[in-house]
Amino acid sequence: MSQRESGNIRKKILIVDDSEINRSLLSDMLSDEYEILEAEHGMEACAILHNQEQEIALMLLDIVMPVMDGFETLAAMNKNGWIKSIPVIMISAETVPTYVDRAYDLGVKDYISRPFDERTVRRRVVNTLILFAKQKELEHMVTEQIMEKEKGNKLMIEILSNIVEFRNGESGLHVLHIRILTELFLRSLLEKTDKYDISSRDIPVVCNASALHDIGKIVIPESILNKPGRLTNEEFAIMKTHSAEGAKILQGIPMREDMPLLRIAYQICRWHHERYDGRGYPDGLKGDEIPIVAQVVALADVYDALTSKRAYKDAFSHEKAVNMILNGECGTFNPLLLECLKDIEGTLEQEFKELSESRDSQEEIMDTVEQMLEGGELSVSEHSLRLLEHERMKYQFFATLSHEIQFEYTKTPEMLILSEWGANYLEMPETILTPREARFGTEVFNKSDFEQLLAELEATTSEEPMTEETYLLNINGQGRWSKVIARSMWSEDEPPEYTGAIGKIVDIHDDMEKMNRLELRAAHDSLTGLLNHKAAKAQISEILAADEEQKYILLVFDLDHFKTANDTYGHLFGDEVLKYVAETLKKSTRDGDICARMGGDEFLVFMPYKEQMEPQVNRIFGLLCSDYKEFRVSVSIGVACAKDCGRDYDTLFHMADEALYEAKRKGRNTYCFYEGEQKE
Amino acid sequence: MTVKECYELMGADYEGVMGRLRTEERVKKFLLKVLNDKSYDLLIDSIEGGNAEEAFRAAHTMKGVCQNLSLTPLYESASALSEVLRDQKEFGADLEPALAKVKEDYAQMTAHIKALEEE
Repeated sequence: MSQRESGNIRKKILIVDDSEINRSLLSDMLSDEYEILEAEHGMEACAILHNQEQEIALMLLDIVMPVMDGFETLAAMNKNGWIKSIPVIMISAETVPTYVDRAYDLGVKDYISRPFDERTVRRRVVNTLILFAKQKELEHMVTEQIMEKEKGNKLMIEILSNIVEFRNGESGLHVLHIRILTELFLRSLLEKTDKYDISSRDIPVVCNASALHDIGKIVIPESILNKPGRLTNEEFAIMKTHSAEGAKILQGIPMREDMPLLRIAYQICRWHHERYDGRGYPDGLKGDEIPIVAQVVALADVYDALTSKRAYKDAFSHEKAVNMILNGECGTFNPLLLECLKDIEGTLEQEFKELSESRDSQEEIMDTVEQMLEGGELSVSEHSLRLLEHERMKYQFFATLSHEIQFEYTKTPEMLILSEWGANYLEMPETILTPREARFGTEVFNKSDFEQLLAELEATTSEEPMTEETYLLNINGQGRWSKVIARSMWSEDEPPEYTGAIGKIVDIHDDMEKMNRLELRAAHDSLTGLLNHKAAKAQISEILAADEEQKYILLVFDLDHFKTANDTYGHLFGDEVLKYVAETLKKSTRDGDICARMGGDEFLVFMPYKEQMEPQVNRIFGLLCSDYKEFRVSVSIGVACAKDCGRDYDTLFHMADEALYEAKRKGRNTYCFYEGEQKE
Repeated sequence: MTVKECYELMGADYEGVMGRLRTEERVKKFLLKVLNDKSYDLLIDSIEGGNAEEAFRAAHTMKGVCQNLSLTPLYESASALSEVLRDQKEFGADLEPALAKVKEDYAQMTAHIKALEEE
């Protein structure tokens, strides 16, 4: 059972005062009947409100406090909407009228001045709670009633319009399509102009009314309504009466003329076949003589007819339908509405795809509630609170399972809230005030990384709020590569204001390591641990492309008579010889040099030189020519100079290879430098 | 010494505090807490450190605490001091006399409360 529902759990009061004595004095006066939470200043209070807004019944707030004073706290409460759900009583020795006025303006419900008198404090607290509870209860009753009524209305309309469609042999989708199109057109239209007597709060009513547009078809004989072929002129004349007949039906409803739904539905029924150029029916109205709601539904009707399959035609594609309408092939429309069609063209198809019949009712109710909230008449109903609580539970459950650090960042007041799991994992409190200064922003993140992340989030837009970055984080003293995936949050204002972000931190360290190891393995020869030819080529090409002076040489060599070693002592011995050569190479070269085994008994070395090349080549040659066990190792080396290759590895390799061939031709166990094209 | 006698020695308003806080037990409990209150130290430190804003808040807090416990002399001098400090960026010539009075009242008050505590 939630706290709200049970009577015997004590209400929570949050006391915000910088003086410990004052806090405990108030707490002493109230703690027999209430559960007391304390905060030393506004910032702490905000952190508590952020997490426990729903649980706090009342707040006692001091004015003069360090870090964040009473007025700043009230401003934050207004900004976050907390002031609507939590009554605040101001406590202060300040009795200057401007202070008091300002506090009331910011939504304070009552004022207790020092010195505290136990009876006054208790009485004021009780009075404020009672008043507030009454107000909530009333709001709640009204909200639930309106929701019930809306639900009832909508249900009746759906039944009614479905009867018509059923008889008409159409699926129930037509009505839904008209609804959605009507809403989209109206929203777009309201963005463009305020010349029509209609506001965003009328949209739900118009959408409901739009469902009734063809209600007059109920009087059309079924033989005409569902005739598969073309209608005769007489039949068409009968068909055309459906708009006026529909209006008549609505008009006949007694005593209801003043209801907006009926008034609008009447307009839509009667005039949704009028044309902007005056050539429509039944009244031949022209231009804006036709009520705008009827114009909107007319356009919606045409679009849906074009994109739906009918007995006499196939469905046209979305693009084709839009083009036909814009080209005037399906009648003339208000140019403003055609603008609207162009504007929503991109989203239209998507909207239709996402449409499912079950989704709609739920959405409608949420919309209604949203509308009322926007109007400021009503606060969140008990019902929505339960939904919220349910969502929160779900969120917490998944957050715990996921083993990710999830966070919520708010800009004013600046704070960071970690998921329970994340806070435990980082050994930090769940709520972190001023995270830029705290350990989170200075130790877990490198300070500049954290600033960069926050700046990046703030630089996003409400259309593209996502950001993803990889950082090396310090998790409890261990460097861990982690991916931060976050999205910025924006206010409902126009233009939207950046309010903070939500996101998660995923540890990708092990994946990164594995990746690095794989890359390492892929680049190396498994027998000798030297680079393989492909990796060596890549590294050398990089140097050739970037280096200024190109003072490098490439040595390519193979072992003389290696086949003999294999044949005489076996392949295992051959492998040992190769390993021995690789070790010798490693020892006789420096870190920056590139050594690789290309395959078989062929190796290469790529190294810089300073003045002369020969001494280096000679040294390596000398070191390689040595005895391994019974086998006398000797090599033939071809050398080429990077200067002559035009920064191209393949050319360089080809030159060294030529020189190697020359060394072999000279009887092996020697080295040769490349000296231009060798003559055959 | 009774709480009442302590209040009389301090020149504080015993009737007033009893009227509001209701029980002598509670008055005593919070009176003794005054000895541990950090506002006075914060006030002195802030003035030495030249932080006028913080000094104002400390004086203001002291004023509030004293008011709640009807500790009239310190309430009055802390009140006067916080007005001297209100909205100031730097300390003026009027700081010294107001501060001296607060120091004097604080010393006197805490001496009496300590005596009460030690009984």
